[in-house]
Amino acid sequence: MAIQNVIAFVEHKHGAVRRVSLEAATQARALAERLGGKVHAVIVGPGAGSAAETLKKYPVDQIHVSEEDRFLDGAVDALESVAKGAGNALVLVGNTMLGRDIGARFAARIDCGVNADVVDFTTDGAVAAIMPKLGGLVITTCAFEGDFGVAAIRPNVFTAKETSGAGEIVQLASNGKASTITVEDEVEEAAAELGVEEASVVVSGGRGMGGPEPFTTILHELAEAFGGAVGASRAAVDAGWVSHGHQVGQTGKTVSPPLYIAVGISGAIQHKVGMRTSETIVAINKDANAPIADFADLLVVGDAFAIVPALTNLVRDAKAAHA
Amino acid sequence: MRPEVCALKILVTVKLVPDTNADKRIDPATKRLVRTGVETVLNPFDEYAIEAALQLKEKLNDGSTVTIVSMTPASGKEIVRKALAMGADDAVMISDDTLAGCDLWGTSVALAAAIKQQNADLVIAGTQSTDAISGDLPGMLAEKLGIPGLTYARTIEVADGRVRVQRETDNGYMTISAPLPALVSVTKSANEPRYASLKGIMGAKKKEIKQLAAADLALTVAVGTDGAKAKLINLATPPVRGKGRVVTAADGDDGAKQIVDFLKERKFL
Ligand SMILES: Cc1cc2nc3c(=O)[nH]c(=O)nc-3n(C[C@H](O)[C@H](O)[C@H](O)COP(=O)(O)OP(=O)(O)OC[C@H]3O[C@@H](n4cnc5c(N)ncnc54)[C@H](O)[C@@H]3O)c2cc1C
Ligand SMILES: Nc1ncnc2c1ncn2[C@@H]1O[C@H](COP(=O)(O)O)[C@@H](O)[C@H]1O
Repeated sequence: MAIQNVIAFVEHKHGAVRRVSLEAATQARALAERLGGKVHAVIVGPGAGSAAETLKKYPVDQIHVSEEDRFLDGAVDALESVAKGAGNALVLVGNTMLGRDIGARFAARIDCGVNADVVDFTTDGAVAAIMPKLGGLVITTCAFEGDFGVAAIRPNVFTAKETSGAGEIVQLASNGKASTITVEDEVEEAAAELGVEEASVVVSGGRGMGGPEPFTTILHELAEAFGGAVGASRAAVDAGWVSHGHQVGQTGKTVSPPLYIAVGISGAIQHKVGMRTSETIVAINKDANAPIADFADLLVVGDAFAIVPALTNLVRDAKAAHA
Repeated sequence: MRPEVCALKILVTVKLVPDTNADKRIDPATKRLVRTGVETVLNPFDEYAIEAALQLKEKLNDGSTVTIVSMTPASGKEIVRKALAMGADDAVMISDDTLAGCDLWGTSVALAAAIKQQNADLVIAGTQSTDAISGDLPGMLAEKLGIPGLTYARTIEVADGRVRVQRETDNGYMTISAPLPALVSVTKSANEPRYASLKGIMGAKKKEIKQLAAADLALTVAVGTDGAKAKLINLATPPVRGKGRVVTAADGDDGAKQIVDFLKERKFL
């Protein structure tokens, strides 16, 4: 037998669904149609019920819900029971910290293949995932052998599309097990902003920013004007100007937004591998010979402190004119 | 866990990766990454894992030990030595031609089998590798070992038979804990990896590197290329991103206008 069904694992915070999960649900339908199977969504944890209401607006056949709060184990157990119930399935998770964590455990549990950072699929023959490797140097295609598989989809690549047709809500029964991991507390250190992997515009700052302020002022304002997120080079993160979660590159996050704006970033190879698959790259740099000149679609040579605030105003004006 | 002894046996999983600065080569016949030669390095993320293990050992100061575990071609020995030079006590290397071409699943099966033989109290992994960037293996290993997996840790504490970590989240952290034995994967914010001292480098030459072959793992399933659950069927090179437009801004307003014109041209505005 081959894989026909597709399960979207839904990440949510107290019922607020993460966008990549809606992208997963929409893509799940597209795949299931080509494979001739059904689409399931799995939602666990407090707030799962209200997240299920959101999923009803997406093309899912069955929405499996459990309000049980068992850190990591709850999600893996739920996926296992839904996958086994379906007989065969490709599980789509977001290529996020939680998505990869859950997907990996499920794959080890059920002994199936797992592919991370998936940007496309092929369905001629067994379903296969397409993903860049080695920092975008090669594009690999890996086929799933057997009845199950896990694909962690890169946020922002597949589109989420609401469709009428409500999925049937199925309550998952508790298996009565306790979690092996105890959650003692949870601390939010920053406002829950859009992460760099999910933003459609990323405005990143580097050593050229000279200190922490620009990350909360001029870069933040430019990102906000676009409805995007602030990123950073490792030099800026290591200097303590901005937290590690914002770092783009080999030891940070891999992003591929439609628009990437690099401000005061030289474009070292370790930065490049984390952003070179962005659709359009714009750089602002004092140095016309910075390495980023070799791969930016537009490099404006000049002082970021003069250009960025002026740019923010023009972007706001252009957006207001459209509104 | 052996309750009668307090000292911990800490295992650190490390991987060999191509140096990002070097030209990475794909063998056109096997479609595999060429992992031999000078351009391979210790996965940068694993240096944080080693450092975390060494700091824990030093803090406990009770005879706890740090063992490096790596599944790598025999040529990876020099990189394993680097980990020993940083201060690890000994190492286990799993090298076998039949393990070549392992996918993530195969790697988790083989590595878990080797780790089980070691009776470790705590396994520490890096968050991800810079070549695969999957970050899947730590969770998979925990599942295969049947122990709690505390991933994305930026701090690690061990007390009273439990491990407690601060797990990074998208906008903060959560404190989670679990009984030993357990697996922890550490992030880059965990520490600043030390450099090997000259004494460490000299001493590493005398440390034991135990070699395991696939047969020593007593695997009951096929791994390697043939056993792969995710089968590589195609490798392609993406189009090269060429040099774009370079313009000089007369002043801030001019620079901003040139960017906006470009963004309008590309329909972003
Ligand atoms: C193992 C390893 C992993 C790494 N991982 C990463 C990673 O994940 N991400 C990453 O980014 N790096 C990473 N690095 C570091 C990388 O090699 C570079 O050191 C880093 O990217 C440089 O950051 P930068 O471009 O901000 O700083 P610099 O290279 O110092 O560049 C600063 C730029 O700002 C420009 N500038 C200065 N002032 C202004 C101004 N007023 N207006 C406009 N431009 C200005 C300068 O002309 C210069 O081009 C890694 C390195 C190693 C060894
Ligand atoms: N072949 C291997 N041998 C030992 N450890 C590995 C191997 N592959 C991956 N790891 C460990 O798993 C972590 C995550 O790797 P990955 O899932 O490949 O991104 C690495 O940082 C290593 O600690």
